[in-house]
Amino acid sequence: MKDSIKTAKDYKEYIDEALNDQFLRRTLDKFAVDYRASREAMFSEIDGKEIIRQVADAKDNACQHMEELYSKFKAEAEKRGVIVHRAKDAKEANEIIAEIVRKHGAKKIIKSKSMTAEETHLNQRLEQDKCDITETDLGEWLIQLRHEGPSHMVMPAIHLSRYQVAEDMSNVTGKKYDPEDIQRLVKVARVELRNRFIEGEIGISGANFCIAENGTFAIATNEGNARMVTTLPKVHIALAGLDKLIPDFETALTALTVLPRNATGQRITSYVTFINGAGECKIGDNDKKELHIVFLDNGRTEIAKDPLFRQVFRCVRCGACANVCPVFRMVGGHKMGHIYIGAIGLILTYFFHGKDKAAILAQNCIGCESCKDICAGGIDLPRLISEIRNMTAKEVGQPMQIAFVGKIMKNRKLFHRLLKFARFSQGPVKAQDGFIRHLPDALFGKHQFKSLPSLADKAFREIYAEYAYKLENPKMRVALFAGCAQDFIFPNHLVAFMKLMKAHNVQVEFPEEQTCCGLPLQMLALKEVAVEVARQNVQAIDASKYDYIVTLCASCASHLSHNYKNFLGDECAEFSSKVKDFSSFMNDIVKIDPSLFHKSTEKVTVHIPCHQARSLGVMQQPRDLIAQVAEYTPSKEEASCCGFGGTYSAKFPEISKELLGNKIRRIEESQAERIVTDCPGCTMQIRGGLHKKGSNVKVSHIAELLADNLK
Amino acid sequence: MSSLVEVYKEKAIATACQIAEFNSFEEAIPHLLSIMEKKAPCELLYEEDVEKGPNGPNGCPTRVQKVIAAPEIGEYYEPLKKAFEEKGYKVVDKDLRHYLAGIDMGIAIAKKGIAQSGTCMVNAGSEDTRLATMVCESCVLILKKSQIMPTVVSMADVLREEMSDPTNYITFISGPSRTADIERVGAIGVHGPLEMHIVLLEG
Repeated sequence: MKDSIKTAKDYKEYIDEALNDQFLRRTLDKFAVDYRASREAMFSEIDGKEIIRQVADAKDNACQHMEELYSKFKAEAEKRGVIVHRAKDAKEANEIIAEIVRKHGAKKIIKSKSMTAEETHLNQRLEQDKCDITETDLGEWLIQLRHEGPSHMVMPAIHLSRYQVAEDMSNVTGKKYDPEDIQRLVKVARVELRNRFIEGEIGISGANFCIAENGTFAIATNEGNARMVTTLPKVHIALAGLDKLIPDFETALTALTVLPRNATGQRITSYVTFINGAGECKIGDNDKKELHIVFLDNGRTEIAKDPLFRQVFRCVRCGACANVCPVFRMVGGHKMGHIYIGAIGLILTYFFHGKDKAAILAQNCIGCESCKDICAGGIDLPRLISEIRNMTAKEVGQPMQIAFVGKIMKNRKLFHRLLKFARFSQGPVKAQDGFIRHLPDALFGKHQFKSLPSLADKAFREIYAEYAYKLENPKMRVALFAGCAQDFIFPNHLVAFMKLMKAHNVQVEFPEEQTCCGLPLQMLALKEVAVEVARQNVQAIDASKYDYIVTLCASCASHLSHNYKNFLGDECAEFSSKVKDFSSFMNDIVKIDPSLFHKSTEKVTVHIPCHQARSLGVMQQPRDLIAQVAEYTPSKEEASCCGFGGTYSAKFPEISKELLGNKIRRIEESQAERIVTDCPGCTMQIRGGLHKKGSNVKVSHIAELLADNLK
Repeated sequence: MSSLVEVYKEKAIATACQIAEFNSFEEAIPHLLSIMEKKAPCELLYEEDVEKGPNGPNGCPTRVQKVIAAPEIGEYYEPLKKAFEEKGYKVVDKDLRHYLAGIDMGIAIAKKGIAQSGTCMVNAGSEDTRLATMVCESCVLILKKSQIMPTVVSMADVLREEMSDPTNYITFISGPSRTADIERVGAIGVHGPLEMHIVLLEG
């Protein structure tokens, strides 16, 4: 298998290769859209949030009782004739299995899909013993023919076209196949693999659930291959991570209610097999199956002790975190994990396949929170990825420049002085229209896909006094959290806000000691600095003086309310609870006074920032606000990532560019005259992309749209 | 109960099952005979010493005499055997390892159904029941309407009960064998049945 995740440079080249794979791009693009629709239909039938909460609770509980569950499972399974093994690491698991195979003098092995066996590289070990191993899941078989690893946990061959499949099959059988006839290609596996099933001497499977109460384990498949693998040979070996242990059938069935819905948009897989004990096998000794189960630790008992990371065991391997990941959509699974794919793959790679690989992979998260929003186990994947970045930065090291950024950011005055200096020094490259002209190619070659904005002539903090006001009887008092991008690049967003609030009799104050929210620092794995600036902000804004703390940047809002709690705990409880994003504050709390506004006929669509849609759960308010002052014009995928992702767009400009391309296509399709959003970063990204294309579509903050229509 | 049956039917059809309702198993036999009669002869996916017909659509030889496997179906077996043998079909109820190359039709009893997902629960502790439902081209499951449970989660006690045998092997079956592993195009009949029929009986 090709391993291109050795150095950051190789990784970049590898990503370029994926971005140029037109088939992969089309496939994943279509998948991203189709998946959303089928999942939504399936979840409309159940109380998804509640069931996901139950899965999370049950699996958290199981994780804390892993040893008890193991003892119980072992005792119950042994009563029923099962031989239970436990392996401390991948090597030991492979040796246990190799020894069983050797004892039987077996060479022909049939396997049904097991991510755990991928984790331990079991096939490579058995091949050393000259075993002939056949993967019987169609997707796994296809990648086995190519000597590749899976590119998705549920659809391992999603990266292959019908043409590649037909060619690979021809190479095996020596027959010609019509690549357009996919139904017939599927039957090639039916024909070719039947004799493998029949002649297989040992069957190896994974297990989705190991149910301790009576030593049953369950396997879910669509093809039925696991039933063949577990029935035909007289020996069956199941390999399962210790995290698959759960107490009872209720837990298994609850997880089974969401797993297939989340994985493939099915109510249930075609087959779910529950195996309890070494049952009937007509070719076995005494008509009995020889049944082994190998439990793999490989660091799991250590992870189980970690109060933050143990939530990874809620993972049911549904693959949904890849399905909704905007980066996966662009580059595919081989670039999004090593063995385990998607957001969970970025995390598990750290634990199972090496910190050096993880240090590179963990950079490739744009922080959009789509995965957290969809996870069948409710895992806070973005937070864990961010922690992995912090850990690998410490263990593997980090570039000098980033450490330098950390030093500057701890000192607000220095940071703001530097920004002012940058404004002065950009003079020669600044154009009249608010964008930077001509950037040197050598430095910014990969960033040329969008126009970069120039810093404003005056920061908001320098003009605040002109817009400050005092109301006699305000209906509420709010503190404005400006955020760096609006303070220094888009002060006009904040000016619009001041006008709207004054018109609605809301008193606004701008506490000037505030600094960067710290989210970019977290993205750069500068966690200690991020905590430090969080503390500075909590001290700068005395939450007890205000009804709300409002920000016009959805990412700041999400960071100030959610991540601050993780950083500072009770210290910021009042602060965090008062933070509001602009759209929900304006729409739900202040409430638009229609008598103050014109209703224009301008066609306006919306981009809902990642942190607003998913982290804050705000989707409808921006649309409602538009509809009150203009013609709301829907566009497709309004809440899909624009590709900015803060520092992400600087780290992976090539991926950022492609995400922006999708967003712009959707805007153009909508035929809107203006697009509004609730985030300066998204404004910058989308405006830059449209400007570069010479588009006439106007890009504004929602607050500007509203202020433009004030009477 | 009737609403559970309706939900069950809707969800089972969504998994590509074909459903027919009868008052009794005897009444269902002509339906099963007609399925058998219409289906193409089974392709032999493995060498078997038997009279062979022309190759099937996947280039494998076919078996001339159609075979129906019906292990462990209790009182339903005798009338089924009589009717199928009269039409010249071979009826078997054990030693299905002799037929791994392929069976035309496999029949099993679904002890429970699940309305939420259109699922049949088959107690496949017997190896022959497993094989009958796996290596057949057309699979028939017999389910009594009174045995339909509402949700997947409501099956916990049923499973617990089934597992009180020293050993067991239970399968939830929801439609035919399927895959979407090539370009995400849905396809039926990878390793298991090419079609799935449910016979819903009153009572």
